[in-house]
Amino acid sequence: MNTEEMRSGLDACVHCGFCLPACPTYLALDDENDSPRGRLVLMRALLDGQVAPDDPDVAKHLDQCLGCRGCETACPSGVPYGRLLEGTRERQRAQAPLPFVARLVLAVFAREWLLRPALAVARIARGLGLARLATRVAPHALRMPAAMLATTARKAVAEYSPRGDGSRGRTALLTGCVMEGLLPALNRASERVLAENDFQIVEAKGQVCCGALHAHAGDTGTARDLARRNIAAFEASGAEFVAMNSAGCGAMCREYGQLLAQDPAWAARAAAFSAKVRDVSELLAVAGPKPTTPDATHPTLVAWDAPCHLQHAQRVVDPPLQLLRAIGDVRLVPLVDSAQCCGSAGIYGLVQPEVASRVLAPKLARIHESGARVVATANPGCLMQIGSGLLLEGSTVQARHPVELLDAAYARARQTD
Amino acid sequence: MADAALPVESLAAELGAIVGARHVLTRPSTLLAYESDALPGYHKRPRLAVFPGSQDELVAVVRRLAKDGLPFVARGAGTGLSGGALADDAVLIGVQRLRRIIAIDAEARTATVEPGVVNATLTRAAAAFGLHYAPDPSSQAACTLGGNVAENAGGPHCLKYGVTLNHVLRAHVVLPDGELVTLDRGDQGGYDLLGAFVGSEGCFGIATELTLKLTPNPEAVLTMLADFTSVAAAAEATSRMIAAGIVPAALELMDQATIRAVEESIYAAGYPIDAAAVLLVEVDGPRAGLEADANAVSEICRAAGAREVKRASDAAAREKLWQGRKKAFGAMGRVAPHLVVQDAVVPRTQLAALLNDIASIGERHGVRVCNVFHAGDGNLHPNIPYDANDADESARVHAAMQQIMTRCIDAGGTITGEHGVGLDKLPYMERLFTADTLDAMCTLRETFDPARRANPGKVVPLHSCREWNGLPALRGGASS
Repeated sequence: MNTEEMRSGLDACVHCGFCLPACPTYLALDDENDSPRGRLVLMRALLDGQVAPDDPDVAKHLDQCLGCRGCETACPSGVPYGRLLEGTRERQRAQAPLPFVARLVLAVFAREWLLRPALAVARIARGLGLARLATRVAPHALRMPAAMLATTARKAVAEYSPRGDGSRGRTALLTGCVMEGLLPALNRASERVLAENDFQIVEAKGQVCCGALHAHAGDTGTARDLARRNIAAFEASGAEFVAMNSAGCGAMCREYGQLLAQDPAWAARAAAFSAKVRDVSELLAVAGPKPTTPDATHPTLVAWDAPCHLQHAQRVVDPPLQLLRAIGDVRLVPLVDSAQCCGSAGIYGLVQPEVASRVLAPKLARIHESGARVVATANPGCLMQIGSGLLLEGSTVQARHPVELLDAAYARARQTD
Repeated sequence: MADAALPVESLAAELGAIVGARHVLTRPSTLLAYESDALPGYHKRPRLAVFPGSQDELVAVVRRLAKDGLPFVARGAGTGLSGGALADDAVLIGVQRLRRIIAIDAEARTATVEPGVVNATLTRAAAAFGLHYAPDPSSQAACTLGGNVAENAGGPHCLKYGVTLNHVLRAHVVLPDGELVTLDRGDQGGYDLLGAFVGSEGCFGIATELTLKLTPNPEAVLTMLADFTSVAAAAEATSRMIAAGIVPAALELMDQATIRAVEESIYAAGYPIDAAAVLLVEVDGPRAGLEADANAVSEICRAAGAREVKRASDAAAREKLWQGRKKAFGAMGRVAPHLVVQDAVVPRTQLAALLNDIASIGERHGVRVCNVFHAGDGNLHPNIPYDANDADESARVHAAMQQIMTRCIDAGGTITGEHGVGLDKLPYMERLFTADTLDAMCTLRETFDPARRANPGKVVPLHSCREWNGLPALRGGASS
């Protein structure tokens, strides 16, 4: 974002304060410097040179933003908060690099040859039960990451051959970095439910991490590199739709057009790519997912946690609920503050563990109040954040992706056929 | 002065010992966010900001400040529209951490809350009992009840249900000298000191705990949107409705400039963007008879020239119509970066003529006036979006606003319906009140705050307090 764009974005704020109650960090930290309105004041002060670029307090409050963009769907004035935050972080990075752990993680995610072995090691640790063990015996600071890893374990599902006719268009799934590394079963489930609902699944070879983690941290250069590689990979696949099962990746991919708008060689290709992006739930909702037979005797109480990057960034609100309602044995129960951030936010949990757990606490409390046995959410970060919180509490409530629930219902239906 | 000698750092350390070091801000960069409230354009730098986490901490903070005679300003969510929460070198006391709902007594229909509880949060909590907190300022999603009491906040539904003053039953207040008092409505005899406190704009002390009235949810609600091709016709419909003896739960007017800003926002409510004005009318109460009221409203609107009168079909549609109205002020940010917001109350019968005059004043000064207001109360909110960095435009905006306010006062109106005087409307006070009246206000204030340390420089212009001017220590315009 150039200075003019930043200024006009900031000018849209009239200080009404309607964003305050929508901001999870304001609610957790009780300081307007940790609210959207306060952070916009800080962004403007940085832009105007009213505060030093390396002012530690300014950096702290901006770094404490989750980037959940819950403020954008509360803002009557249309302040482009997410873009302003990324623009500010990009400028900050020129002044002060990220903490070491953050740089390390981002470097690994940008390089397949580092990422694959790293995630393989994680899978082995998980398989040997080390992650679960670590949640009890590891030093306190490591328990949350260990629980995040442990919570990605999945039992094998009964596979079935989807019966769709492929008539609804060539569709390639962004398999993602964390998803394919730690939750590959969820990717296969996404492909199966899409195929069952008449989408023709094709592979987009050569695809990489979407770059969301990098863009949110202000490393826009790496984000653009990754975007270009993904655009090329999906163009080559000939896909009509780019399907997303991760809210964070979906939001990023929809913004490739903006990210590369200044790059003459890529601007049009990026915009065309972004226009093809759909959340899996959106693809299914167009015609309504094929329903499964209700099992009225054993309904599962499911609460829907709306991921920020689905609800606020992509404004996809109803399709996941439609998907869940199509599952016969799911009974949806309301979750108070469903659209409020769980504190996951990419690598936020690694760099701001204390704030992340403060933000998670009310989410867990609302989940318990809802009486749900399963909390459904559609982003790997949220699945891991909420899942780990539940695991560490010793709760038996599970965090699952709606697609997993639908896939399991299709598999069960097939067995009883 | 005593306070000048005390370094900020040592005061901060002492306050930090009370509330926790994390909850005291002293660095200029961290005070920036607290330099303004929801009225952009004004900036005042607090000396420091302190956020107590309990009623006891709040009292201890006020007592510590009293010890050194330091001025202070209370702040809730900073959603005020008159600059009332600005602290000019005073200590800013934020009550946002005091957000416990202490009790809801469904039988007595009361709630006891701390001052930092958000207005809409109380209504949400009361919903389980079929109750709600009736005063509903448009900022209710964010504003705090402590702030509502300080400003005597209104809201669309105050037309039928009354303003904040009518819904406060008791307040525990820490006076500026640190004394804790309980104010009630004087039901057992004596003066209604609570009535004096509500709307005192933070100048009489800080409420530590409030007991509020809860209202049963009406059995039925009907919400209508009437669409007019002239503002005058909408104003005329308003006057006729009230004259016919109908008391709608709410009766709101929005003009075209406002409608367009809302319709471009995420709160787009489906208002007709080609209408010169719309009226949002709600009737509520027992189901029996409500239909007749709604029909009467429709007929009056049509007779006054409405093109169409639509009814919200269900609760979701009603909510959408209301969200558009309530977020209208924020949506003005789409028009220009800054905004002057006024809050004049005028005789309802003169609405049409006044709106016409306001439009001509705007035209004469080349500024765009957007009207969105509580028509049923005659409580106008002329808003002028502008760019404060443009000196010429700013001058024209302020000149236009001054003429608008003067016109409203001359029509027998007043300068604030619900936003308070704060800093923004100080210049109009002497136009509206006689010297004797202002002096009486000063005397009342002195009863609560003899040293004039609570929210200094607000509401009543200092120089109009005769006795104050007589005190040698205060000559020279010091604010503490």
